[in-house]
Amino acid sequence: MGLVPERQRESTIGRKLWQINWSFVLLIALIAGVGFAMLYSAADGQLDPWSSRQMARFGFGLVAMIVFALIDIRTWLRYAYFIYFASLVLLAAVEVTGSVGMGAQRWINLGFINVQPSEIVKITLILALARYFYASRVEDVERMTHLFVPAAMLAVPVFLVLRQPDLGTAILILVTGITIFFLAGVRAWIFVATGLAAISAIVPVWKFVLLDYQKQRLLTYLNPESDPLGAGYHVMQSKIALGSGGLFGKGFLSGTQSHLSFLPEKHTDFIFTMLAEEFGMAGGLGLVGLYLMVLVYGFFIAVRSRNHFGRLVGMGVVAAFFYNVFVNIAMVMGLLPVVGMPLPLVSYGGTAMVTLLFGFGLLLCVFVHRDVTISPGTADGNY
Amino acid sequence: MRIDHFNHPHNPAPEPAPRAGSDDRAPMSPELAGPVQLQGVQAQALNTSRNRLIVTGALLALAFTVIAGRLVELALSQDARPKFAARISETPKPPKVRANIADRNGILLATSLPTAALYANPNHVLDARLAAKRLHKVLPELDEAALAKKLSGKSTFVWLHRNLTPDRQFKVNALGVPGLYFQGMERRVYPHGALAAHVLGVTDIDGNGLSGVEKQFDGQLTGGDSAFGLSLDIRVQAMFRDALLRQQNRFSAIGAVGVLMDVSNGEVVALVSLPDFDPNNPVSAAGDAGFNRATKGVYEMGSTFKLFTAAMALDSGVSKITSRFDATKPIRIHGFTISDYHAEKRWLTVTEILVHSSNIGAAKMAMKVGTARQKNYLRSFGLTRAAGIELPEVGTPLTPDRWRDINTMTIAYGHGIAVSPLQLTAAVAALVNGGYRVRPTIIKGAAPQSGDRVLKAGTSEKMRRLMRMVVTQGTGRKADAEGFLLGGKTGTADKPGRRGYSGRRVISSFVAVFPFDAPRYAILALFDEPKGLKETFGYATGGWVAAPVVKAVVQRLSPLLGLRPRAKAVAVSGAGRGKKRRAAN
Repeated sequence: MGLVPERQRESTIGRKLWQINWSFVLLIALIAGVGFAMLYSAADGQLDPWSSRQMARFGFGLVAMIVFALIDIRTWLRYAYFIYFASLVLLAAVEVTGSVGMGAQRWINLGFINVQPSEIVKITLILALARYFYASRVEDVERMTHLFVPAAMLAVPVFLVLRQPDLGTAILILVTGITIFFLAGVRAWIFVATGLAAISAIVPVWKFVLLDYQKQRLLTYLNPESDPLGAGYHVMQSKIALGSGGLFGKGFLSGTQSHLSFLPEKHTDFIFTMLAEEFGMAGGLGLVGLYLMVLVYGFFIAVRSRNHFGRLVGMGVVAAFFYNVFVNIAMVMGLLPVVGMPLPLVSYGGTAMVTLLFGFGLLLCVFVHRDVTISPGTADGNY
Repeated sequence: MRIDHFNHPHNPAPEPAPRAGSDDRAPMSPELAGPVQLQGVQAQALNTSRNRLIVTGALLALAFTVIAGRLVELALSQDARPKFAARISETPKPPKVRANIADRNGILLATSLPTAALYANPNHVLDARLAAKRLHKVLPELDEAALAKKLSGKSTFVWLHRNLTPDRQFKVNALGVPGLYFQGMERRVYPHGALAAHVLGVTDIDGNGLSGVEKQFDGQLTGGDSAFGLSLDIRVQAMFRDALLRQQNRFSAIGAVGVLMDVSNGEVVALVSLPDFDPNNPVSAAGDAGFNRATKGVYEMGSTFKLFTAAMALDSGVSKITSRFDATKPIRIHGFTISDYHAEKRWLTVTEILVHSSNIGAAKMAMKVGTARQKNYLRSFGLTRAAGIELPEVGTPLTPDRWRDINTMTIAYGHGIAVSPLQLTAAVAALVNGGYRVRPTIIKGAAPQSGDRVLKAGTSEKMRRLMRMVVTQGTGRKADAEGFLLGGKTGTADKPGRRGYSGRRVISSFVAVFPFDAPRYAILALFDEPKGLKETFGYATGGWVAAPVVKAVVQRLSPLLGLRPRAKAVAVSGAGRGKKRRAAN
C-alpha cells in the first residue's frame, strides 16, 4: 500500500516522547510509590529486603515501558506471534527446568534473573490474539472454524500454567483471552454455549484435574470460618486486619496484625490488607481509586485508537491489569478464594512488575500511535 | 458517550482534519472524528465493536464498585473480628474441682490438688517391653513385667498410675513413649492429717465422699467453688486430741472421745474420736480407727446421767434442792441390788447425791419423778433419738423396750440406756444454757437455735451450781481449773460383757460446762476401757482419768476462745455441807 500519512512520517523519537501520555506514567508511578511504602512497612521500617529491590525493578521497567511505547505499533504487530511463541517456549521450559517455589514450579532461571513465564504470557497472548483478530472480517469472526486457531493459542498457555500448577494465573489468562474474543466480536451465543459446556465439565475437572490443595482452597472459600486455624487462616486474618483498620487505619508502620506476623504473605498477596490496616478504609479506597483511574485512562486510550489492533491490545492490557487487581483485592477481602495473585504494581515481585510495565508500554504505544491506520497485511510487512 | 470515530480495517474512516496545536491527548473530543456514514454490514460490525468495548469497560467499572463496597463494609462493620474472637475464647472449662473445707477461722482442712493419671492405649504402644522398661525407671513402684503385660494387651485403654505429681508427669512425658496419655485428675488432700479425720471423712479415688462431711455434703462440695466452713476450730481440736491421746496412752484405754460444744447454739468446736486415721490414706480408716466413737458409738454413760435425774426432779417440783433421800441401804428389786461404791449410809440431799454420786439416792429420786416423766424429759433432752448432727455416722440410742421401775431406777444413774457422747454433751448444754434444747451442728453459722424449752430457767441455774459443787467438793475436783469456774460431773460406767457387767472394763468420762455462772461451752472427755494405774491407786474412774484432761484442755484453750481466768472463784451458795470427801464415782 505504501500510503503513509504525513503525521506518521514526521514521527521522530522526540516527537513520540512528547506524545506519550505522561500523566498516565505519573499515575503508575504513584501506585508503585504506594507499593514502595507498603514494602517498607512490611519490612518493619526498612528498605531491605523488599522496597529497595522493588524500586530498582520499577526503574528498569519504567525505562523499558518508554522504549516499548516508542516502538512502532506495526512492529509489534509484525512480531506478535514471534513474541508469543518465545514466551510459550519459556513457559514450556518451566516444565522441564523450572525451580519450585511455594509448592509449585513457576520460576525459570535465566542466569542473572529468575522469571515467571506465566506472567509474561498474560501480555504476549494479548498481542497474539490481537494480531489474529485485527484483520478479521465480521463474517470471519462469526464463523466457528475461524475460532479454532485463537482457541488453541489460548488453550496452550492455560494448559501449561495449569500444569505448574497455578490455577489462579491459568484462570486469569483464560479470562483475558475470552475478553479479547469478546472484544473481537465473537458472537454472544458462542460464549453462552462455551459457558454451559464449562459448567458441565465441572464434575470431571473436580475429580481428575484439580489437585487436593486447589480443592481445599475452593472449599475453604465457600466457608472460610469452617477452618479458622487451617486453610481459612489467611482469609480470616486478612479480614480481621481489614476490619481492625477502621476508617483511617492505625497509622503507617503501626498495623498490629501485619507487624505481629498474623498476616501471611504481607509483602506479596496480602499487601492490600496491610495497606487497609495501616491507612484504613480511606487508604484502601484511595488505592482502588488510583487503579480505577488507570482503568479509565486505559479504556479511553483503547477507544481513542484508530486501528483495531491497538484497540484490542489496549483493552486487553487494561482488562488483564484489572483482573489482576480485582482478583487480588477480592481475595484478601474474602470475596474470592485465595489463589495466589499479587496486587499489580504494589506487591513485591519482579516479573509481575516488569511484565505489567511491558503491558503498559504497549498501552502507551497504542496511544502514541492512536492515529495510525493499519490495513490487513500490515503484519506481513507491506504497509 | 459518543464513540463515532471508530473505523474498521475494512472500512477505514475518513482521515481526520489536521489538528494544529490542539491538545492531542484529549481522547474523546467528538469533533476529532468526522461524520461517519456507514451502511449495512459495515455499520453493524462497527456497532458490535463499539458496544463490546463499552460493555467490557462498564463491567470492569462495576466490578470496581463491588470491591469498594466490600472494603467499606469490612471497615465499617468490623464484623469479622468479634466473631472470630468469640470462637477462639471458647477454651475448655477446667475440670470440676471439689470444694475446700475450712474450719471456723478459715483454716484449710481439706482441699483438692490437680494431679495427672497415667493411662495407655496398648494399640498405640510400639514396643511394650521397651516402654515398660523405660516407665519402670521413672515409676519404680510399677512392676516392669506387669507393665509389659498391660501394655501389650489388646484393649484400647488401661490405667497405669494415678496421682502423678507434675514432676513425675513431666518425666513420664519426657520418655516420649507413644501410646501413653494423661488424664487430668484431682487428689483430695487433708493438710492436718488425722486431726479432724472423723469429722471430715474420706473420699474415694474418684472424689466421691465416703464418710464424714465429705459424704454428708457430697453434693454441695462437688462443683462448689467457695470453701465449706465448719464450726470446728482446728486449734482447739489439735489441743484436745493431743490431751486425749496422751491420757489414752497413759491409761491404756482402747479409745477416747472429746467434744467441745457451744451451749448457746450447739456448734461443735471440737470433736475427737480416738483411735483415728489419716484421711490422706483412706485405707487407714479401716476397722476400729474408722469408727467415730463420738457420734456413732453409744455407751451407758453412768453417773453423768444423775445430772438429768436431779434436773427432772427439781424441774418437775417433786423435789427441792434440799430434799433428802434415804441412802442408808442398797435397794433390792427384781433380784438386782442397787448400791453405792462408797456408801454414806445416810439420808442425802440432792446436792449430796450428786457430789457423792450416790446411785441409791439417784434411783430414789427417779422413782419420785416417775417413769412417764423420766421418759418425757429424756426425750426432750434429745437422748432417746439419734443426734441430729450433719454427719452420716450417727448412733441411735439404746433404750429399754419395756420401761419398768427397774429401768427407771438404773437409768437414773446412767445404766440401761446408751447414748452417744455427742448427745450427752448436747443434753448437758441444755441443762445449763437456761433450759433450751440444743441440736448439735458441725456447720459454722448455722441458724441460731430458738430451741424448745426443756427446763425452767431456775432449774438450769440450780443445775449450774450443783455441777460447780461437784467440781469444788465432789468427784470432779481434779477438773477444777483455777479461774475458769468449771462445773461438771464424773461418770464411770461398767461395760456390758458377754456375761453381764464386769467391773474391770469401764467407760470413764467427765462432762463439764464453763464458766458455770454464765456458761459458754460444754465439754466432754470420755475414755473407753482405761486401766487403773499404781499412781491412781488402781482407779480408772472418770474423776481420775477424764477430769484432768478436761482441766488441762480448758486451761489451754480458754485463751483461744476468748475466756479470761478469773482471779477468785465465785462462792457457791446453796445446800451442801462443804465436807470435802473423795468420792469413788
